[in-house]
Amino acid sequence: MEAETGIIENANGSARFKIGKTEAIAAVYGPSEVKPKHLEKVDRGIILCKYDMMPFSVPDRAKPGIDRRDMEIGEVITNALNRAVLLEEMPRSMIAVNVYVSQADAGTRCASLTAASMACADAGLPMRDLVASVAGGKIGDSICLDLTKEEEDFHEAAATDVPMGFLPSKNEIVLLQLDGKVTREDLRKIIEIGKMGAARIYELEKKALKRRFLNESKT
Amino acid sequence: MIHVKNYEMVTPGELLSEDGKGLNGTYLEDNRVFSKFLGMVQTNEKGISVSPLSGVYRPREGDDVIGQIVEVSSKYWVVDIDAQYYTRLDVRDVNFRVDFDDLDKYIDRGDLIYARVFRVYANRAADVSMRGTKYFKLPSKMIAKVDPVKLPRLIGKDGAMINLIKQETHCEIILGQNGVIWVDGEETGKSAALAAIKLVEERYHEQDLVEKVKELFENVRRTI
Repeated sequence: MEAETGIIENANGSARFKIGKTEAIAAVYGPSEVKPKHLEKVDRGIILCKYDMMPFSVPDRAKPGIDRRDMEIGEVITNALNRAVLLEEMPRSMIAVNVYVSQADAGTRCASLTAASMACADAGLPMRDLVASVAGGKIGDSICLDLTKEEEDFHEAAATDVPMGFLPSKNEIVLLQLDGKVTREDLRKIIEIGKMGAARIYELEKKALKRRFLNESKT
Repeated sequence: MIHVKNYEMVTPGELLSEDGKGLNGTYLEDNRVFSKFLGMVQTNEKGISVSPLSGVYRPREGDDVIGQIVEVSSKYWVVDIDAQYYTRLDVRDVNFRVDFDDLDKYIDRGDLIYARVFRVYANRAADVSMRGTKYFKLPSKMIAKVDPVKLPRLIGKDGAMINLIKQETHCEIILGQNGVIWVDGEETGKSAALAAIKLVEERYHEQDLVEKVKELFENVRRTI
């Protein structure tokens, strides 16, 4: 796992998060005037999230542009960040979050969410907590975290993929999706193990955010 | 119980104390105080506050700022002060006489002005005013920008840092509280001043900055 912030000069906040072979880059712009104007909320700000896979991120080229999968992931990241960022403190404003996946090996939405939340903190936005996100699943009978593409495809028929997002210090879940089949007990176990994994990611995030301001001159 | 030390760096969501005494930059949940920002902790007997280390300038009433005119209408100027929204300078709020409909005669697009934020709206939009003898149109266009949170380091204790830069470079320097800095003087002085400002911006968290800036000026003098 690797995490780094402040990588994009022109953005108000930016971050890179790498877990296994999956890597996501996030840039946050704002708070700024809402465009398009009709999305404006008088009592709170809004988050507009764009998720995209870079063409070279997967073995067979990913078509550039936002497809239906990208739209869905943008939406789940927005929903998760809505719980983390204190939007009611910035009425009539917009925060643009752009996330790009430069290398994909399963679990991209989790890596993207983690990077996006770090970028938000780096941009100086008021937040309740950072989001730590990890995907869980099953290989054979054993429960694992952060599966690779190969591990995910191990069961061709009954693959299980559970992306999870947590607010670790609040003990809240902000993202939970399920792909495939899983029993109720196993899902509970996956969430429990996911929490433990998220705690480790959370520590890494905190360290990365502080590092930029402590050692800026050394880099 | 307090969990952090003074001047410690904290991330959003970090537990600061459990006595319910949270000030700026914190929020309360069940009498527990959490940080709202990635920032620096300041504790005193009144409670704990967190000041953010980055972010867009938030206008506050009474701030003296430097802005650039982006639009001239018949009754007001639109001013960019590097905040979330453009601000407005009304024709009644200037310290010189104006004839209506010809406002670009006095202050034109692209000009820099030194003005005061006198009204802030709930959405962080603001109005600026140039009433008072302190405020004026800035003649040249040499500006630098730093993060507003880094300004205190650039000013130094009792203005030690900024006075040193002014003395050494023989430049006139005006600091806007929005992080915009206006510099005027001879060419070499200006570039030396900008180099010093950049050094402070890059190393603002380090100790003995005044010494380091002095060193920089020594080096500049040797190369000339």
